[in-house]
Amino acid sequence: MAGNEFSVKLLIWRQSGPAQPGELASYTMDNVLPEMSLLEMLDLLNEKLTAEGIDPVAFDSDCREGICGTCGLVINGIAHGPHSGAATCEVRMRSFSDGETIVIEPFRAASFPVIKDLVVDRAAFDRIMQAGGYVSINTGSAPEANSIPVPRPHAESAMDAAACIGCAACVAACPNASASLFTSAKISQYAQLPQGRAEAKRRVVRMVDAMDEEGFGNCSNHGECEAVCPKEISIFNIGRMRREYLKAVL
Amino acid sequence: MNDVTVQSASAAPGPLKSGAPDGPIEDRWDNYKASMKLVAPANRRKHKIIVVGTGLAGGSAAATLGEMGYNVQSFCISDSPRRAHSVAAQGGINAAKNYQNDGDSIYRLFYDTVKGGDFRARESNVYRLAQCSVNIIDQCVAQGVPFAREYGGTLANRSFGGVQVQRTFYARGQTGQQLLLGAYSALVRQIDAGTVTMHAHHEMLDLVMVDGVARGIVTRNLNTGEIQTHAADAVLLCTGGYSPVFFLSTNAVNCNATAGWRCYKRGAHFANPCYTQIHPTCIPQGGDYQSKLTLMSESLRNDGRVWVPRKTDETRPPQQIPEDDRWYYLEEIYPAFGNLVPRDIASRAAKMVCDKGHGVGSSGFAVYLDFAEAIGRLGKDTVASRYGNLFDMYREISDEDPYSTPMRIYPAPHYTMGGVWVDYDLMSTIPGLFVAGEANFSDHGANRLGASALMQGLADGYFVAPATASNYLASNKMDDVTTDAPEFAAAEAGVRDDVNRLLNINGKRTVREFWWELGRVMWDKVGMARNAAGLESAISEIQGLKEEFWTDVNVPGSQDEWNKTLETAGRVADFLELGELMARDALERNESCGGHFREESQSQEGEAMRDDDNYSHVSAWEYRGPDQPPTMHKEALDFDYVKPGTRSYK
Amino acid sequence: MAGLTDITRSTVGKKLLNGLTGLLLCGFIVSHLTGNLLLLVGREAFNQYAYFLHSLGHGAVVPIMEVGLVMLFGAHAISGISVARSRRRARPDGYKKSANAGGTSRKSLASRSMIVTGTVLLIFVILHVAQFKLGWGQLRDYPDVMIDGHASVDLYSRVVDWFNWAPMVGLYVVVMLMLGNHLRHGFWSAFQTLGANNPRYENLINTAGMLFAAAMAVGFLLIPIYIFLFVEPTAGSSLAAG
Repeated sequence: MAGNEFSVKLLIWRQSGPAQPGELASYTMDNVLPEMSLLEMLDLLNEKLTAEGIDPVAFDSDCREGICGTCGLVINGIAHGPHSGAATCEVRMRSFSDGETIVIEPFRAASFPVIKDLVVDRAAFDRIMQAGGYVSINTGSAPEANSIPVPRPHAESAMDAAACIGCAACVAACPNASASLFTSAKISQYAQLPQGRAEAKRRVVRMVDAMDEEGFGNCSNHGECEAVCPKEISIFNIGRMRREYLKAVL
Repeated sequence: MNDVTVQSASAAPGPLKSGAPDGPIEDRWDNYKASMKLVAPANRRKHKIIVVGTGLAGGSAAATLGEMGYNVQSFCISDSPRRAHSVAAQGGINAAKNYQNDGDSIYRLFYDTVKGGDFRARESNVYRLAQCSVNIIDQCVAQGVPFAREYGGTLANRSFGGVQVQRTFYARGQTGQQLLLGAYSALVRQIDAGTVTMHAHHEMLDLVMVDGVARGIVTRNLNTGEIQTHAADAVLLCTGGYSPVFFLSTNAVNCNATAGWRCYKRGAHFANPCYTQIHPTCIPQGGDYQSKLTLMSESLRNDGRVWVPRKTDETRPPQQIPEDDRWYYLEEIYPAFGNLVPRDIASRAAKMVCDKGHGVGSSGFAVYLDFAEAIGRLGKDTVASRYGNLFDMYREISDEDPYSTPMRIYPAPHYTMGGVWVDYDLMSTIPGLFVAGEANFSDHGANRLGASALMQGLADGYFVAPATASNYLASNKMDDVTTDAPEFAAAEAGVRDDVNRLLNINGKRTVREFWWELGRVMWDKVGMARNAAGLESAISEIQGLKEEFWTDVNVPGSQDEWNKTLETAGRVADFLELGELMARDALERNESCGGHFREESQSQEGEAMRDDDNYSHVSAWEYRGPDQPPTMHKEALDFDYVKPGTRSYK
Repeated sequence: MAGLTDITRSTVGKKLLNGLTGLLLCGFIVSHLTGNLLLLVGREAFNQYAYFLHSLGHGAVVPIMEVGLVMLFGAHAISGISVARSRRRARPDGYKKSANAGGTSRKSLASRSMIVTGTVLLIFVILHVAQFKLGWGQLRDYPDVMIDGHASVDLYSRVVDWFNWAPMVGLYVVVMLMLGNHLRHGFWSAFQTLGANNPRYENLINTAGMLFAAAMAVGFLLIPIYIFLFVEPTAGSSLAAG
């Protein structure tokens, strides 16, 4: 066991509150095991810091299996770190080598103010959803489930888009801090299902407006969002959002 | 309210009544709904309802109550309601649609669930659950939940453990996520419509009671530390389960018992705390650094075969062990259900073979889940299309390729059937306090079948709680109560005291150390197998740990900021008390049933033995203050339809 | 409810406008290059082509096209600048360490430098029009040539003389490489923007984009380089004297 242990140097963004300035602080972690997750390594760092009387590093996480979308760190300049198709909580320490320096920063965007250290406020995403990320159907008024057949390819493609976990890595990775991938994933899911067609036009215009009001940047089609997305949501959804938008305004 | 027996705080142990209606079981819910009192549409917005939690139960309930026109105040501890832990459910949701024409029906789903729960659930509730199941699928499909489809465009189904029909609806390995996002979509629609006010990143730290009735809550804003009170006409708790009492579980790291536990300390009875589900297919434990255990969906057992080496001193790698030297113990012991036996049975069998020395992996506490046969039969592509995301997850964590090497799995705490006691209306012993989803003691008896948690959360949230809460509001005169009432100030002061106390202990040991230690005691002594001596020692160990916690814990930082350690400290303080109650409940229940296995109560072959003569009841515990043991009340369970028998899956 | 004005209001609308104008401009440069390749054929052919264009529709077509082109360039530039400007507002505090995600990302030098290459191209287009259409800073007066009995500008001589001046050739080479770079991301990006990209055709569109960018850059480069190397400046030009 002990043979596998190694050390890493950490440069972690510390910022005591939303209005305070922040900076990178340096820590060393010994006894790191390859099978540890990065967040478990940070747990142990916090145990160490607490024992030393230093305020532990604030970071958020929940399910720790890549589905809830709570965690989100920029690791060595890449949102969710070096693994493709994985969230921060799925990053294992075997991705790093002995003596490596790991720079850890929060997701940065004007729309995501820092709460503390590595924790940012992503409520802007919920407000985008409120603008139209739903099918207007009251409980009890649904027709029999099999009454509307959905062709399998449509259902599968809708599911590809619906897999979004709302982690905001797309915004973090985008050079323009655009929320296009997130917003388009929901629009695209509903656009491909008969249930979502009835209010497709209203939805796309309202959600795009909400996205703009939150102050996210525009999209330059770099595709960094897709590359860091833990659920590998495709930028074709952004294309579909634009098509839907064009249909809505023409 | 219909036949609600509310226990007064000084009650001696006495029978609790469910308040379930009489009559033929298939008519009970419909007749009961028809007899309910209603609130006129124009009057609904005058009623404020607090919904705590935004998982499947809380999200769907808040949305539905909002659609009905109530003034809903919704609270969740995560930064967005979409992140509640329901999101992590993988496999599927059951519904008695009989789309596969394999003989399914509402009655059969009811029967399977009562039997699967080892005859420790309420028949009336379970039947209602099975009835609602069909409406849930309709509702979710209408919301745009992208369930798996056949090429003809109709909904697809798959098998799940413990049943012989295909009634499980699924959205790849992300069914919980998709159902939760469906409920979340309904919720955000109501937030947009102004009927629901969302309070994300708020943790409920106390229940406020006025004149013996639930009238509000105290919360802490987890971003700023601000402590607030909120008044309402009813409070609906949908705060999930308490598996993290074991420290390592498949639950999210923020799942906790605090909301329910604080209600318990306000007088709500806590039922069957010892019923915990240990899920059979999880990635085995590694080192002490570990923060959680990852579940591999039960659906893997559809095609994967579970085995261990027949020889206890086996050293060959799994691929080199010939068929004759492999022990497919589930297929051998339970030929009728094979690898698809219910979870409690699969977990216990894994423990049994490992205890006998057949376990694999470095710790010896793991069994193989092998896909070689399925890959040979179906081809690698088909297996990949069914389980690809799970295989990827496994490879990511274990650094082994499950396509070529069998997975190593071991049981892990996953779901808690116990919870706050509720009557047929889902109301606790505190009037006005409703509890839905995993947070209540639920419809699963002593063991939950796979794909039934999502069903119960949504049945409670979309259909049951909104109806019964309306009935409550219509049947009771609601005095105007605002947060100016002295009870609110008192509750708020209590919460502030607790928080300050935690921050001022300034001890030497971290919160995590206490939690970890509690988890070890719980797993060793209140885990998959329990005995009287172990449980008694667990009670005293936990008491000692609790005392040490309150004198030597170190909670850094301050109240008025994001402070994860402070959050966690409050939850661990509650786990320390809940853990003791679980051990007490397990000690009191000297029988084996479902997820509760008492070593004293087993057959010669090691199978669980139920004791219906003495334990065919719900155990509901009443808090009696910090210095007194709790009182146990019994709710007798009647079985008019599914006669309790030996639960055989052989 | 939504209407066409939304195109200029929202980020998605502006992006659509940018993509649509970009594709139309691609069409323009194809026709521009095709015509200009006549420079390589010779004086007669090119001047005749220039006269033909200006005589279309009794001379009305070119001014209309010019107005259209000004609007196209303007809309493309404004929408493009707005996309770029949103960047600073949306992320005022950048990362201490940044890296490319790799994998399926389409981020490249081309995609990152769209605003730079675009700005250079915009300035270039203005100067290019001034230089050849308006004849600013020209090296000498060019008497009109007679085509089909009509007097017409001797555009050929103007071009040939400019492209015998090495610094001008150098400038065009640099700008045309930037054009190639702009198109290398822009062509594919326009399809993606208009929602016309899809998994089945993405590789095709991307390859077509690269070929198109290369063809345009090489095509436009060919003209000044060929002239510089193989065509003598006209008599009377300062370069001829030198």
